[in-house]
Amino acid sequence: MKAQPRGTDGSLLASLPWTLGALGLALAPHLPYLPIWITIASLGCAAWRYSIEKRRRMLPSRWVRGGLALACFVGVLVTYSSVSGVGPGSALLAIMAGLKLLETRRRRDQFVLLFISIFLVMSSLLREQYLWSLLYLIVSTLVILTAWLRMSAAESETARQSFVTGSRLLLYAAPLAIVMWVFFPRIATPFWAVPIDTSRATSGLSATMSPGDISSLSMSNEVAFRVRFADIVPAPRDRYWRGLVLTSFNGRTWAGTEPRIGSPASKQIAVRGEPITYEVTLEPTRQHWVFAIDIPMSWSLDNTFMGPQQQLMRVHPIDQRVAYEVVSYVDYRIEAELPKLFRDWYLKIPDNSNRRAAELARQMRSATGSDVAYIEAVLAKFHNEEYYYTLEPPPLGSSPVDRFLFDTRRGFCEHYASAFAFLMRSAGIPARIVLGYQGGEINPLGGHLIVRQSDAHAWTEVWLPETGWYRVDPTAAVAPERIDYGTLDVAFDGLGATWGFAASSQLLHRLSLTLDALNARWNDWVLGYGPDTQKKFMEWLGMQDPDWRKMMLTLVTIVIALIILISGLLMLRYRKPAQDRAAILYWRFVKQTGMQPHLGETAADFARRVAVDGTLDRQSVNNVITAYLDARYGPADDASLLRLKNAVTAIG
Amino acid sequence: MSSIQWPFPSPARVLDTLRSGATRRVRRWARKRQGIDALSTKLRPGRVYILPTGVGLVFAIMIFAMLLGSMNYNNNLSFVLTFILIGIGFVAMHQCQRNLVGLELSFAGTDAVFAGQSIQFRIAITNQSKSARYGIRLYSDSEHSDAHDLQPGESTIFLLPVATQSRGWVSLNRFGIRTLFPFELFRAWAWLHMDLRGLAYPCPTKQPPEPPPTMVAHGHRQHDARGEEDFAGLRKYNEGDPPRHIAWKAFARSGQLFSKQFAGADTSSQWFDFNEIAASDVEQRLSILTSWIVSADRTLEDYGLRIPGKEFAPAHGVTHRRQCLEALALFDRDET
Repeated sequence: MKAQPRGTDGSLLASLPWTLGALGLALAPHLPYLPIWITIASLGCAAWRYSIEKRRRMLPSRWVRGGLALACFVGVLVTYSSVSGVGPGSALLAIMAGLKLLETRRRRDQFVLLFISIFLVMSSLLREQYLWSLLYLIVSTLVILTAWLRMSAAESETARQSFVTGSRLLLYAAPLAIVMWVFFPRIATPFWAVPIDTSRATSGLSATMSPGDISSLSMSNEVAFRVRFADIVPAPRDRYWRGLVLTSFNGRTWAGTEPRIGSPASKQIAVRGEPITYEVTLEPTRQHWVFAIDIPMSWSLDNTFMGPQQQLMRVHPIDQRVAYEVVSYVDYRIEAELPKLFRDWYLKIPDNSNRRAAELARQMRSATGSDVAYIEAVLAKFHNEEYYYTLEPPPLGSSPVDRFLFDTRRGFCEHYASAFAFLMRSAGIPARIVLGYQGGEINPLGGHLIVRQSDAHAWTEVWLPETGWYRVDPTAAVAPERIDYGTLDVAFDGLGATWGFAASSQLLHRLSLTLDALNARWNDWVLGYGPDTQKKFMEWLGMQDPDWRKMMLTLVTIVIALIILISGLLMLRYRKPAQDRAAILYWRFVKQTGMQPHLGETAADFARRVAVDGTLDRQSVNNVITAYLDARYGPADDASLLRLKNAVTAIG
Repeated sequence: MSSIQWPFPSPARVLDTLRSGATRRVRRWARKRQGIDALSTKLRPGRVYILPTGVGLVFAIMIFAMLLGSMNYNNNLSFVLTFILIGIGFVAMHQCQRNLVGLELSFAGTDAVFAGQSIQFRIAITNQSKSARYGIRLYSDSEHSDAHDLQPGESTIFLLPVATQSRGWVSLNRFGIRTLFPFELFRAWAWLHMDLRGLAYPCPTKQPPEPPPTMVAHGHRQHDARGEEDFAGLRKYNEGDPPRHIAWKAFARSGQLFSKQFAGADTSSQWFDFNEIAASDVEQRLSILTSWIVSADRTLEDYGLRIPGKEFAPAHGVTHRRQCLEALALFDRDET
């Protein structure tokens, strides 16, 4: 291969800043996810390249570039141990962009950089979508288009002109894009599944629970999901969003392992009373759990099943925001019969741990007459004795239940749920722990319920022969206000104080609710515009039985109409400037003479030639020309125009 | 091993042949459809053709991939990005075509060159519309002009070089105008068939033999040894008169240029005669004559030219030089 010349002549200076700007904008949303060395490498390449162009230096040689490329590729492999997926993909794109810059010598080479920018923007959108993402998308498209125009623009053209042209073209493209977006048929099932790196997706929940290991609970105000109730809005104390169920305890950690034998539990459900119908818009969790109030009887999410403990689970992890409809019952009776095998499973506790707690349970159970009385006694113990609810409890060590019950007596929901379930099992009552969310705040502006990560909660379910599985929330015995009001006010008071305007925390809260209402609408109508929403919208537009054929037909028809419209607009832009009336009359006169003015011949010269020619009367030619010169260059009035008109008509 | 020959033509060559064949056919069709163009022609929409460029094809593939990705993840914002780019593609196509439609192309002459040099065909392009035109370029089969922008109402002369090999008329039966604006996704072009021609003089020989000595022929002028010092009067300035002969005082008085005439100014008049050159080859003789004329013109000497069938009396100046060289260029050619 012939080595390319490596000199630079500053010819890229007109477009390079815009190209770098486009790349920078495209890369910005990826920065939190990219290893720091990749950021530094790409920014370094950009700065290096710019200074080379500015000082008209030589580009680095092929060997330097090759070495860098190899090092970066190995670096990505080592960092990610893979090259597929959005994470390593965007890392590779960032590296490629940086390295491509170092061999970009001609203006046209920048095409590659702009295409990389487009891909980077797209992959950032795949990763996360916010309210402002659309704005980001438009701005970066505009910068990319401007850079694209700068690439082939003449030297004399200013960046402003390119920007204006780019904006104009984008404006023309916008209606086309909107129509295509609305009518392009959405499909429900993906073609393939590539993991999207949403490591920033936070969840208040994890798959196991070890009270005392984490000594503080995150009070994240991030939204876990939003709910829109069809008619009945259940009271806060009935809003238990079940997520996952933990059934096995090793003395320290509760986990979700389950007995594998037996019939699916969902067959043993009896429900009564009014159903609650609602739609949940769940933020991505990367987990399989699907949240619903108590016992869901039907749900609209694909590939989702009810597990053996009546919890909903999806086959694919939830990598993107999903919306689903659920019908739930809060009055239910599940598993009236619990086979011995299951019974034993839900009673299992490790023999040699938390001995004091187990001893306490035996004493209390023998002191009380029935299982129900025993449950009440334990709750009363939490209520009457010195047990505190705190978000920052002391660590518990190797026998967490003992230590919590007898020594520290401080904890949050997990501690109480764990201790309660242990006390139940020790006394021969089957018990399990449920993780999910409790409560939520109604947004008065949007009318929907916001459930935040800080609403994450843990509670227990015990099995009694009379009732089947029955929910007991031991935390409620300690801190009932948390169950009734939620944690939100606490959190916002703190935020207000941090920023030094505690008095207006209410205002801040309202602001945040407004933003949330906007966000909810945005999610419902734009980000969540899927097969179902689209179908509804098409029906609203008046389409009978919408299917993809009809939508495509509508799309093509409207797009063609729009293109014809745009073509007409362009034609208008490129039309001839309107001739003034004097000029029109002059050309009528020219036609009458039967002669052609030469290129560049003035009207007066032409008239002289016509006069010499002699076919027309010298005097009338003179009249026309004087009137024309007056009308054209004299003060603008109708009199001279009229004279011109008369003079021309006189000849005809 | 190395002697083994692949029995089929290489795919690249097959493709090339196919492509050039197709191009020829399309061009013939366009020519038949459009007819011969006037020397000043306005581009109607119907004769501006458009096709995607290589970049455009890559762009299309990229958009297709983006569409698949958006569908796969059901990601509405990446749908937005994809559809904006598709929209941009459509708009760019129309904008690209509109960038040419309505332009007026007029032939604005050529300058004659010596065989072997390129003739610059001057084409004036006028933009009579309300919007600027960007990145306009003229091209022929082998060459192209620089790209220029045309502001509203602006008229610019484009130079389209055409290579010459031998003396005589060089015709340019077809040339094109094209643009890649705005995003180089599409190439819009139009073919023009204007029947243009330019003249190539014979190529001057590098080392010509000594020109014939100064002669006094046919008694046109008397040889006079008085030299230039003898001022003989003023005459109107002619193009090509030596600047040192300009009467600046007369210019200051009247505002008109006059040249001083000297009795004896034609002391060095020469005759260049085709038949008196030793070389046998016609082209070689013409080349020698050309180089003599060029050097005589440079030293401002009067010279006459005699070729079979034509004779130019000794004189000097731009017009004389042109007439002589034209005669040489078209010697023995039927064309006029």
